[in-house]
Amino acid sequence: MEIAAIQTHGLTRRFGALTAVENVTLSVAQGQFFGFLGPNGAGKSTTIKMLTGLLEPSSGTMEILGQPFTAGALELKRQIGVVPEGMALLGRLTAPEYLRFVGRMYGLDGATTDQRTEELLDFMQLSNERKKLVTDFSHGMQKKLALAAAVIHGPKVLFLDEPFEGVDAIAAGMLKAMLQGMINRGATIFLTTHVLEIVERLCSHVAIIHQGRLVANGSLEELRAGVASTLPGAEASQRLTLEEIFLAIVGAGGTEAQQELSWLA
Amino acid sequence: MSAPDIAFAGPETAGPLSRLARSQYAALAAMRWQMFRNGMRTSRGALELGARAITYILYGALGLGLSAGLGAGAYAMASSTAARFLPVLFWTVFLVWQMLPIMLASFQEQFDLGILLRFPLGFRAYYLLYVIFGLIDVSTITGGLCCLGLWVGLTIARPGLFAWTALALIVFAAFNILLVRAIFAWIDRWLAQRRTREIVGAIFLLFVLSLQLLNPALHQSRHSRSVSREERMAERRKTAGEMWPWLAKANAVQRWLPAGLAAQAVKQAGEKKAAPAGGSLGILGIYALAAGAVLAWRLKAEFAGESLGEAPSRAKEAQAAERRSAGWFAGSGPIAAIVEKELRAMLRTMPLLYAVGAPLLLVLVFSGVFVRNGAPTSSFPFSLPVCLVYAQLGFTQLFYNSLGAEGTGIQLYFLSPTPMRTVMLAKNIFHSMLFFLTAGVAAVLAIFRLGLPPAPVLAASAAWLLFALPCNLAAGNIFSLTMPYRLNPGRLSRQRGSQASSLLSLLVQMGEMGVGALVLWLCWFTDRLWLATPILLALAVIALVIWDRGLRNADALANRHKENLIATLAKTE
Repeated sequence: MEIAAIQTHGLTRRFGALTAVENVTLSVAQGQFFGFLGPNGAGKSTTIKMLTGLLEPSSGTMEILGQPFTAGALELKRQIGVVPEGMALLGRLTAPEYLRFVGRMYGLDGATTDQRTEELLDFMQLSNERKKLVTDFSHGMQKKLALAAAVIHGPKVLFLDEPFEGVDAIAAGMLKAMLQGMINRGATIFLTTHVLEIVERLCSHVAIIHQGRLVANGSLEELRAGVASTLPGAEASQRLTLEEIFLAIVGAGGTEAQQELSWLA
Repeated sequence: MSAPDIAFAGPETAGPLSRLARSQYAALAAMRWQMFRNGMRTSRGALELGARAITYILYGALGLGLSAGLGAGAYAMASSTAARFLPVLFWTVFLVWQMLPIMLASFQEQFDLGILLRFPLGFRAYYLLYVIFGLIDVSTITGGLCCLGLWVGLTIARPGLFAWTALALIVFAAFNILLVRAIFAWIDRWLAQRRTREIVGAIFLLFVLSLQLLNPALHQSRHSRSVSREERMAERRKTAGEMWPWLAKANAVQRWLPAGLAAQAVKQAGEKKAAPAGGSLGILGIYALAAGAVLAWRLKAEFAGESLGEAPSRAKEAQAAERRSAGWFAGSGPIAAIVEKELRAMLRTMPLLYAVGAPLLLVLVFSGVFVRNGAPTSSFPFSLPVCLVYAQLGFTQLFYNSLGAEGTGIQLYFLSPTPMRTVMLAKNIFHSMLFFLTAGVAAVLAIFRLGLPPAPVLAASAAWLLFALPCNLAAGNIFSLTMPYRLNPGRLSRQRGSQASSLLSLLVQMGEMGVGALVLWLCWFTDRLWLATPILLALAVIALVIWDRGLRNADALANRHKENLIATLAKTE
C-alpha cells in the first residue's frame, strides 16, 4: 500500500470556546495536486498551520510521508515547503540574501544555495530587484519570493496558502507551470486559494471545509457527481463548474447573498 | 450599464474640529480604549498593565522630585535678589524635556499614527492627533511636572506673578511639546534612508568629538592629583574669572532663546514691566509656532503618503561589499546563516543601532563626570566599571527581545528544520561578539578620558562582563520567547514596546550590576580588591551553566509560546 503524503485523523483546533477546525480526517496521496477550499474563516489557514507545525492541534493526529508530524519533527520539515499566510519574509534583507538565508536554514550547502537562488530569482523575474529590500517589494513580488523560498530546498510536500493572491497573470502562468512540473516529478501540493478556476485547472482532488468541518472530499468528478445527484434533472445534466459545486456545498446561494444593501447607490 | 453612483455622506470640511474629525477622535479614543480593554483579556495583558502602572509611578516620582527641586529653587530665587538666575531653572526644564525622550526611546510605547492615513482624516486633524498622542509620553509628563513645580514655587514667592507665570509656562510647555515632536519626526525621517542616516551619523559624531574637545579647551593646563585645596580653589576662582566674559556673552544670547525668554517674561512681570514681558512672551510664542511649523512640514510629507523605504544604493560597491562579507560567513550552516542575517538586518535597523550606539557615545560624554580640572579624579576608582555598565544598557532590546525585528519571518524558524535552540544560540553568538566589541570600545573611550584604572579593577571589570553576558543571554532568551514585542525596523520613535519586558529586563540588569557592585565594594572595603576577579569569574561559570540549561530548554519554551510569538510578531495593526 502506498504511503500517503498527508494523512490526518480527527484533527481539531479550538481557540477558547471557538472550534476553528473540527475533526478533520483526510488523506492526500503522493503526487497529488490537492485543492483545499472553503469560505473566509472556514479553517483553511488554521489547518495548514497545524499541518506545517505552526499551530498545535487541540486533538487528532497528522502524518506526513508516513511519519507522525510534530513541531519537533525536524527531519520531516526538510521534506516540506510552505508559503504560509503571512509569507514569513524578513523585510530587512534583499531577495538574494533572504533566499540564501532560507536555503542555509534548510541545510543546503553554500554552493547549491547560491545556484538555486540565482535560478529562482531569474525564474520569478526578481533578478532586477536584487538590491531592493523585501519590505519595499510589492505584494505580488513578495508572494513570488515567498514561493521561491518555499521550494528552494526541493520539498516533497508543498503547502501553499493563497499563493496566487496579488501575482500578475504572466507570473501566475509561470508559477502554475512550475507547480505542475513539481507534480510531474512526484511532489505533492496542498493548495488553498479562493481562485476556483486555478483549482479546477490544476487540482486532481479537492476538499471543502466549512465552519471548521470537512464537508466534501474527493476527486473533482466525484464532487461533481455528488452535487449533481442532489439537483433537479435539467440542472444535473449540465456539467457543473467548481464554483457551482462549491456554492452548492457551502450553501452560499441563500437569502443572505441575495439580500440587497439598499443604501448602496 | 452605467457605472454605479457611489453616494457619499456629503461634503465635509477637513478641519480639526469638524464633525467628521470629532467623530474620528471619538472613534480613535474608543479604539485605544478597546485595545486596552482587550489587552486585559490575557494574563500577559494584565502583566503589561501592571508594569506600565509601575513605570508611570517611577516616572511620576522622578518628575515630582525634579518638580520639588525646581519649585524650591524658583521660590528661593524669586523671594531673594537672585531672580536673574531664573533662566538656569528654565534651561534645566528645557534639557529634561528634550533629552529624556532620547534616553528613554527604547522603553516607551508609542502609537504609530501612520495607520490612520487610509481614513478620510484631514491634515490638521492628523497633526492635532500627533501632538495629542505626544502628550502621553514620559518627557511631557516629567516636563509638565517641572513646569508645575516652577509655577508653584514662583507663585508662593510672588503671588502677584500667578497669571504671568502660568501664561509663560503654558507657552514654554507648548514650545517644548512641539519641538520634541518635531525633532523625533525629523530624526525618524533622516534615519529612514541610508544617505541621510550617514550624514546624521557623521554630524552626531562630530558633535560628540566637539564635546570631547571642549573640556581640554576650557582647561588648558592639566594638574597632578596632589594639588592642595587652596591651590584648587584659587585655580577655580581664576577659571571663573576667565569664564565670566564668556558667560556674559552666553547670557546675552540665551535671553533670546525660548528658555531665556520664558524666564525673562516672568522676571519682567515681577518688575511690573508688562510691555517687555508681553514682548518676551510674544517672541516665545513665535518660537512655539516655528517648532509647530517644522513639525507640520514633516507631517505634511508623511500625510501625503511618502515612502521612506530604502533600497541599498550604489549597487556596484554594495555588490563588492556583499561578496567580501559573504567570505567572512562562508560557512553554510544555520548558525552562520543566522549570524550573517543578524548582522545585515541590524545594520539596517536603526532603533537597534541607536540603542547600542547611543550609550557608547554617552559614555564618552558623561565620563567627564569623573574628570576634574582636565584630569581624572582620584576619589572614585571604579569609573571604568561604571562606564562599562552604562554601555551595556544599550543591549536591552537585543538581548531581551532578540526576535522582535523578525516580523513575519518568525514563522520561518518554526517551519525550517533548524531547532529554536540553534536559532537562539546563533543570535547569542552574534550578540556576544557585539557585546564584547562594544565593551572594548567603551573601555578604550573610558581609559582615554580617565586613564588606566588599577589592574585589579581592570581585571574585575572584565570578569564582571563575563558574568553579566551569560546572565543577560539566559534571561534574554526566556524573555524573547515568552514576552516578545514587535520592533518596527524603520523607526526610532513610535515603537510599540512592552513595559513588562522593559521593567523585568531592567530588574535583571540591575541585579547583575548590584551583584558586581556588592562584590567590588566588599573586596575594596576589606582591602582585597584582587579577590573580586575570582569571585566574579566563579559567578560567571554559574551563569554560563544556567544559560546552557536555558538554551537546551529553548525548543520546548518556543513551542509552548509559538502561537503568541507568531501572533505578536507577525501581526498587523
